Amino acid sequence: MAASSSSSSNSNSMLTKFESKSSRAKGIAFHPKRPWILVSLHSSTIQLWDYRMGTLIDRFEEHDGPVRGIDFHKTQPLFVSGGDDYKIKVWSYQTRRCLFTLNGHLDYVRTVFFHHELPWILSSSDDQTVRIWNWQNRQLICTMTGHNHYAMCAQFHPKEDLIVSASLDQSVRVWDISGLRKKHSAPTSSMSFEDQMSRQAQQQADMFGNTDAVVKFVLEGHDRGVNWVAFHPTLPLIVSAGDDRLVKLWRMSETRAWEVDTCRGHFQNASAALFHPHQDLILSVGEDKTIRVWDLNKRTSVQSFKRENDRFWVIAAHPEINLFAAGHDNGVMVFKLERERPASAVHQNQLFFVTKEKHVRSYDFTKNIESPSMLSLKKLGSAWTPPRTLSYNPAERSILLTSPADNGVYELISLPKDASGAVEPSNTMRGTGNSAVFVARNRFAVFNQSTQQIDIKDLSNSTTKTIKPPHGTTDMVFGGTGCLLLISPTTIYLYDIQQKKQLAELAVAGVKYVVWSSDGLYAALLSKHNVTIVDKSLKQISTLHETIRIKSACWDDAGVLLYSTLNHVKYTLMNGDNGIVRTLEHTVYLVRVKGRTVYCLDRAAKPKILTIDPTEYRFKLALVKRHYDEMLNIIKNSSLVGQSIISYLQKKGYPEIALQFVQDPQTRFELALECGNLEVAVDMAKQLDRPVLWQRLSSEGLAHGNHQVVEMTYQKLRNFDKLSFLYLATGDEEKLHRMAKIAEHRGDIVSRFQNSLYLGDVQSRIEMFKEIDQYPLAYLTAKAHGLDDQCEEILEACGLTADTVSLPSFGQPVEPPKAVAPTFKSNWPKRATGASSFEKALMADGDDTAAAETNGFVEEDLLAEDIVAEAGGDLEEADDEDAAAGWDMGDDAVPEVEEDFVNVEAAEAGAGSSEADLWTRNSPLAADHAAGGSFDSAMNLLNRQIGAVNFQPLEPRFLEIYQSTRTYLPANSGLPPLVNYVRRTLSETDSRRILPLIPRDLESIQAGEITAGKNAMKVNKLEDGVPAFQKALHLLMVNAFSSAAQAQEAQAAIHSAAQYVLAMSIELERRKLVGKETDLSSFSDEDKKRALELSAYFTVPGMDSQHQTLALFSAMNFANKNKQLGSALGFANALIERGTNAKFKETARKLKSVAERSPTDPLDVEFDTFGEFDICAASFTPIYAGEASFACPFCGVKYHTKYKGTVCKVCQVSAVGAPSSGLRLVV
Amino acid sequence: MDPFGAEGELVNIHTAFVQGQYELVLSDFEASSFSDTNRQPVQILQYRAQCALGQYDDVIKSVGNSSVPDLQAVKALATFLKNGSDGAVADAEKLSETQGENLTVQLLCGIVLARAGKADQALALLSRHEGSLDAVALSVQIHLSQNRTDLALKEAKSARSFAQDALLVNLAESWVGMRQGGEDYQKSFYVFEELAQAPSSASATSLIAQAVSELHMGRLEEAETALNQALVLEPDNSAALANKVVLDSINGKDVSEVRSKLQSVDSQHEMLLDYAAKKEAFQAALEKYSPKFEA
Repeated sequence: MAASSSSSSNSNSMLTKFESKSSRAKGIAFHPKRPWILVSLHSSTIQLWDYRMGTLIDRFEEHDGPVRGIDFHKTQPLFVSGGDDYKIKVWSYQTRRCLFTLNGHLDYVRTVFFHHELPWILSSSDDQTVRIWNWQNRQLICTMTGHNHYAMCAQFHPKEDLIVSASLDQSVRVWDISGLRKKHSAPTSSMSFEDQMSRQAQQQADMFGNTDAVVKFVLEGHDRGVNWVAFHPTLPLIVSAGDDRLVKLWRMSETRAWEVDTCRGHFQNASAALFHPHQDLILSVGEDKTIRVWDLNKRTSVQSFKRENDRFWVIAAHPEINLFAAGHDNGVMVFKLERERPASAVHQNQLFFVTKEKHVRSYDFTKNIESPSMLSLKKLGSAWTPPRTLSYNPAERSILLTSPADNGVYELISLPKDASGAVEPSNTMRGTGNSAVFVARNRFAVFNQSTQQIDIKDLSNSTTKTIKPPHGTTDMVFGGTGCLLLISPTTIYLYDIQQKKQLAELAVAGVKYVVWSSDGLYAALLSKHNVTIVDKSLKQISTLHETIRIKSACWDDAGVLLYSTLNHVKYTLMNGDNGIVRTLEHTVYLVRVKGRTVYCLDRAAKPKILTIDPTEYRFKLALVKRHYDEMLNIIKNSSLVGQSIISYLQKKGYPEIALQFVQDPQTRFELALECGNLEVAVDMAKQLDRPVLWQRLSSEGLAHGNHQVVEMTYQKLRNFDKLSFLYLATGDEEKLHRMAKIAEHRGDIVSRFQNSLYLGDVQSRIEMFKEIDQYPLAYLTAKAHGLDDQCEEILEACGLTADTVSLPSFGQPVEPPKAVAPTFKSNWPKRATGASSFEKALMADGDDTAAAETNGFVEEDLLAEDIVAEAGGDLEEADDEDAAAGWDMGDDAVPEVEEDFVNVEAAEAGAGSSEADLWTRNSPLAADHAAGGSFDSAMNLLNRQIGAVNFQPLEPRFLEIYQSTRTYLPANSGLPPLVNYVRRTLSETDSRRILPLIPRDLESIQAGEITAGKNAMKVNKLEDGVPAFQKALHLLMVNAFSSAAQAQEAQAAIHSAAQYVLAMSIELERRKLVGKETDLSSFSDEDKKRALELSAYFTVPGMDSQHQTLALFSAMNFANKNKQLGSALGFANALIERGTNAKFKETARKLKSVAERSPTDPLDVEFDTFGEFDICAASFTPIYAGEASFACPFCGVKYHTKYKGTVCKVCQVSAVGAPSSGLRLVV
Repeated sequence: MDPFGAEGELVNIHTAFVQGQYELVLSDFEASSFSDTNRQPVQILQYRAQCALGQYDDVIKSVGNSSVPDLQAVKALATFLKNGSDGAVADAEKLSETQGENLTVQLLCGIVLARAGKADQALALLSRHEGSLDAVALSVQIHLSQNRTDLALKEAKSARSFAQDALLVNLAESWVGMRQGGEDYQKSFYVFEELAQAPSSASATSLIAQAVSELHMGRLEEAETALNQALVLEPDNSAALANKVVLDSINGKDVSEVRSKLQSVDSQHEMLLDYAAKKEAFQAALEKYSPKFEA
């Protein structure tokens, strides 16, 4: 089965998305675009929540006492609130402060709303008025009086100039405010402030006492106070909720308004009610702690949801998304009524899904076409519940759907052959169950949660097997062929249906969906915040955590999992590496990834295509799999490289690869040190030239035993002491001497002492002591080394005598050890690490061009292989073919031998004739007879068609065909395998039309042998080229093609291959004669002449033009070398005219200018540049036009008459000049 | 209740046997753990599994000279498979005459007779079964090997009517389907694939079957994948090697290596014998022509 996914939450309750804990919530407003909700609380606080992330963004606390009214502005970063402090406040959520306060109401403000386009605010208050304010000039522009009790709620009509208000006076009033709009939408630019003031004064003092808002309708029907009222977004409908526990529906026309119906159900005061923005539903909340959903058209209860302890006070709908929020005693809950995830399944290139209208459609990924509706599922489950899952069975072309309605139902439906519209499905199978999924071609499993039972059913819906799932199972999904994955809240089980055995279990909490990779080897288990990747035996491979909710996932063909969260598409590799692919504006459900394209369904169940940049994860995948070539390719073709990828490589332990990307010397230096690439490190350190770097390089060099680097770094650091010691350690005495010199130069006494010690240079030590007036030390040194002369001198200089100096006794002077090995000459030997394979790939890339040139002909560009044989030749060939076929129509009948063959088989009692025999009966092609094992008749056919006589070369081909058509199917133990016959007529069952598969189609021969042969020509390996082309000839000779056009193409290929064999044979003959010698002066005149002729004939056969160019070039040079300037000139002209290589042409032009001075041939060769002639394939001599000759009936190569009847040298099968009816290659 | 049926005790061992999981048949099932009536069938299945693994001598030895007809049939089969002796065929013929109503005798002697070229006798013997799917499967195969697809189909259809969706019925139908071709290839493929991909029944045998069906449908790459999987499971499986030769030659690859591997594993494999015979036939056919070569 294809990858499919399904969910485990299947209760009838609402889908709660967010809940907050606070004091009583009295007002709620959704932000129209962002995932924000404002909640005004009884405790005077206004909260701003991100309901997606579940975080409190901000708090606004300036009201005194409860805040009841709250609303976001539709477009600007504003919101308005109204509280029990009589104040209306307008806030900016950007600057996070109250911008201004509108004072005027004389009692609690109940509701506040912005107008959808005008700069107006509508408020209702316990002072019994409804007021309109202009928030731009912060003026009260209209006060509506009429209610004679608290005005509880007032709302603008979403389109028209109407207001509806509700009051505890038990009435609902509709007001017409078109007058107000007229006045305020009049041009204001020209109006001065005074004008405005005067207009307002006018309005206040309307002489008839009329205001700009007039009561249009008064709706009476509630017999208690009305708490809430709302317009329908599009229809002339009003809904109200009152303390009489009723929700009432009203309709209005231009002239009147009336009560339509009442929704009864709340058993306490109904607090608020509203219309569903997109569906024919009413939602209401009440103090009976319930949220109720009503059918707008039938006024019946559809759904209800009860909270344990909290009375509901308010409800709000998101203007666009399918989301609602309800405020209660202890906070707010955000919920949706139904799942928006469209049920879907992917099979190969098709997506099957259920639309919002509950129609089944398919979508073709290759053509990007959505089908028309195929089925309507109106009858499945209840009207308001969409199906939860869809499972597709490609073998039967049927679908299996589940719906959570009525505690879970499933339905098995066959898809119609063509999508002809939303028809009601006929003969469906149904039953109860929470999950249902196909487990095999003719089986599906149904899981029933209440009975904790899984039934395996066949397609007629009868149970064939019953399974008891592990305790606490909540859902069941496809688990690979013959298996199910059973999901419990904490664990997932892999269950084998046939063995009725649990194969594995894995502790993963809260798995909701399972997505299988297309090869069925891996599955991703999705829970709300985790993705766990497992293999098909449920072994965990990796797991990752997301803070944002995970919505869906699908597998890339390369084994990368892409998953979507609420706002991102991300990827994860098998090893758990993950990252962001792109951001999402709207939540989508991924169904398929192909290259840069992600297919998904949006919440409206419409297929969507997103483009992504897969470079990053492709690169990481290539890295993990060590596909360095691909990495290289990615690096070259994309602008991937960034700091992140470098640090990623470094972190993952690939500093040597990261090194390839970095330009910044500092980073390069660090990376080089990390991967031990001292060369690069030295280069970078040189560029940067900072002591710290030299310092680090020196210790790294020391660790590597690379004392040359160390020496350099010490030099750079002017670290003389260490340098001296290094020279001592490496035995570099010469440099030590130099160090001593330098020390003397610097006047560094200690250093001099040190160096002289290292050098064992007593003399210089004494000198030094003397210089610094340390005579006693100098004397001691001299004495210790037995240098008595020196001693005398010192004593003398000090004015002392030996007697006055008392010395301790000392032993023998110690000589510093001499270096045994000249270590300094080279670094410590290290095992060659070689270049990493990545570096190799990089290097190889650079070498490509050089390698291509090392072939025999030293041509530059021979890649243009598009020109095949000359078109004229083709036509002629085809004509010949047709003509010949016309002669011998009847002869193609199957030879009689074969009848006997069948009879022999049939003689066996009870046995039928094998399919192989049918083949020989059904076809006049030699290949089909060979496949049938009737070699006799196959040869007979070839003999008639192309005069074939020498079959030995065809043996491998015959046996290959024969062997390719018999498979061995193991069946019953103890009996030999069943032999089956492989056909090329796959969909055919009529025994008179069945034909065998013939291996090697034209394309494969052209890509294989013919290309190999031409390559051999290109690289001058003619001895390999001849057999390659001959093999191609044999493959083409015994073959079967699907169309006449292909057969014609095959004939052209035969002709061309034959010409190549001929050309190569001529050239090989020349080489046999004179070897590789280009200068023929040492050969006899006869050989010389023959060699020159053969070289010329090489240019005659019809090869591709770039190969003919090679022949011409070779012939031209050969002639030139041997002073045959006449011939050379001819070749040069031909080359200039027809050559395909610019360099050769250049040479030809030069040669031409030389040759034209004396275009003569000292040796007369039989070759006429201008004459039309063929070359006899046996004697390699010209056959001039008009001269009698015979051709090979198969390959068309010509021969002198004396060769008639011999086997063709080129194809090695047919007899030259034999009678033939022409090769048949199509049945 | 049918012990081999979907709910029976023997279903797993029998399925494993049919799927060619012979090692599993021997290692995972202990005859003593089965109920009394089922012990003997388990024993027989295990003997047959041993035969399939080539342990003929072990089987002959442990059967000894038992007078139980079932075991005599086992001995006849093992002896025949070991060296194809005429004595074994004679034994089988005798058993089939005297104990023809015994299922084990029907099955095992049926195999011996069929292999000895006495297909009609084998079929007659097998036709005496009473609702045994093994017997049906054998009959179907014998019919197919005689190129009587029509009879095989009839046999499989009749089994479908009494055994519904049993594994062997599915398999037998698939075997027939592989001969019929057309849409039946796909149907057969589904059956083989289902077996090959389910973890409990995945075996080299079922993978080979899947590969063969894919090969017949021209899905060469898929076939290659499945065959290679089979060869990973059982590198020396002769059927896998034989089909690999077929697949490679369709792809135009050099098959000599695989063929010599097959030669070393099972020198008497039908494919090799057939190939050698055809090679001779080619040479014989060649003789009729006398090509003239230009010196």
